[in-house]
Amino acid sequence: MANTASHPNPTAWSAPFWEAAAQRRLVIQHCRSCDASIMYPKRVCPHCLGEDLGWRASKGEGEIYSVTVQKAAPPTGFEDRLPYVIAIVRLDEDVQLMTNLIGSDAEHAECGDRVTVDFETRSDIGVTLPVFRLVNPK
Amino acid sequence: MRRATAAVVGIGEVPSGRFPDRSELEAAVLACKGAILDAGLGPRDIDVVMPTGALASRHFNVDLIFSRLCEELGMLRSAAMNVQVMAGGASSSSMLALAEALVSTGAARTVLCVHSDAVGSLPRQMGIDLFATTGVSEEWEAPYGHNMNAVGALISQRYMHETGSTAAELSSVCVALRKWAQLNPNAMFRSPLSLEDVMTSKIVATPLRAKHCNVLADGASAFVVARASEAAAITPTPVYVRAHASKVTHYSVSQDRDLARLGFFEAAVEAYEQSGLEPKDIHIAELYDAYPVFPLIALDALRVCRGERAGSFVAAGETSPGGSMPMTTNGGMLSQGHTGAGGGVAVLVEAFRQLMGKAGERQVPGAVNAAETASGGTWMDSHVTILSKEA
Repeated sequence: MANTASHPNPTAWSAPFWEAAAQRRLVIQHCRSCDASIMYPKRVCPHCLGEDLGWRASKGEGEIYSVTVQKAAPPTGFEDRLPYVIAIVRLDEDVQLMTNLIGSDAEHAECGDRVTVDFETRSDIGVTLPVFRLVNPK
Repeated sequence: MRRATAAVVGIGEVPSGRFPDRSELEAAVLACKGAILDAGLGPRDIDVVMPTGALASRHFNVDLIFSRLCEELGMLRSAAMNVQVMAGGASSSSMLALAEALVSTGAARTVLCVHSDAVGSLPRQMGIDLFATTGVSEEWEAPYGHNMNAVGALISQRYMHETGSTAAELSSVCVALRKWAQLNPNAMFRSPLSLEDVMTSKIVATPLRAKHCNVLADGASAFVVARASEAAAITPTPVYVRAHASKVTHYSVSQDRDLARLGFFEAAVEAYEQSGLEPKDIHIAELYDAYPVFPLIALDALRVCRGERAGSFVAAGETSPGGSMPMTTNGGMLSQGHTGAGGGVAVLVEAFRQLMGKAGERQVPGAVNAAETASGGTWMDSHVTILSKEA
């Protein structure tokens, strides 16, 4: 039943995010009316309800806000990926997003650790996902 | 301070667990019948039927929306309205707040709130997948393998990071809840559970182990809300709604910037203000769990741990039977079972039960005021309700 391991199915207003990810670039939606950074991408700016929205490149650096190593009971489609690391990253641009941490030391990540963006092409769901790695190996 | 305008006058519940031979409809009918009779009312005394959402069967949920219960329980042409109120785990507090609004404005004299579902009888993987799509963004989170245990894990990790709470303290929540469940004939899990049992169970999503994770259950519970001014004439044991406050903090858990507190601190301050009560006036804390970190956050927010950290307070046994702050005395979703939107309804019904003096072996003597909490989805909102035997 689950759509858990499916293509993200972008909306008209989020498509540029995924197009950038496919080119290994991380971008953040931006409101030209009130200068807010918007994550996740939205149809209208949640700060001023403006519709004049554009995109800015992210430096792709930030810190782990929280993290968990999934070792059992995954949703359908993720059985073969166990163990995998789910994290919430707070970018230096002060927006947050969910991601996977990759790298051999990812399971040792802690809140506050510095991370940098990478990209993972997931052929099973036909998309390139922004993922992150620890800056300082453990 | 405001005066209570609504009171709960009757409660009903069926046991939680796996009951493949008991349909959601049967469970709903029996819980409603129990609540109506407990209030000393008849079905034609109910003005509004307010079912919350059921997740296991779309067909049953549609029946709930389209007045099935009015037909089954003999309310046709006496009930004025049948309307679903669904806020996931926060349906409990949300139904109560909306029922309170209906009776206090005169739109209704009585409201029957009910939950019934059979998520416990779903195949295990279907249950995992169902809850991996409730409040989890299909576009932004599902591709990373996100799921409900990960939600509990991410919030636990941040809470431990900020407060210094330990895995043993989290585990002690599960132990305390099981002690209460052992006194609750409606609970799914009633066998003894030790700290070691929890701490050595299989790791699921760090820092959570299997015994930190709720198990899905079939179940149903119901309650009847009436005007405060009429409640004492209906029942000798009315429970008055003294305050309700809540904050929506996110849709996707990755967007919340204060996972160690969520909205519970703001809601608690507002609820105390409304009620005119203070933390020292609270005798029992009926706190929404699903995972052990959430009662800890709620205890911190409610300031009922006598200045101690919630984790050390629970680890010292203060929230267990015989402790100074009895907490989630039905055993919570960790021991009574996670029935879907009804896990929180069962916790709320337990608060009524305690204040009505109907909690049997686990009755807390002398309990006058109770604080109750709830949250829906990926802890998208934080509700605090204060209830009292006194108007």
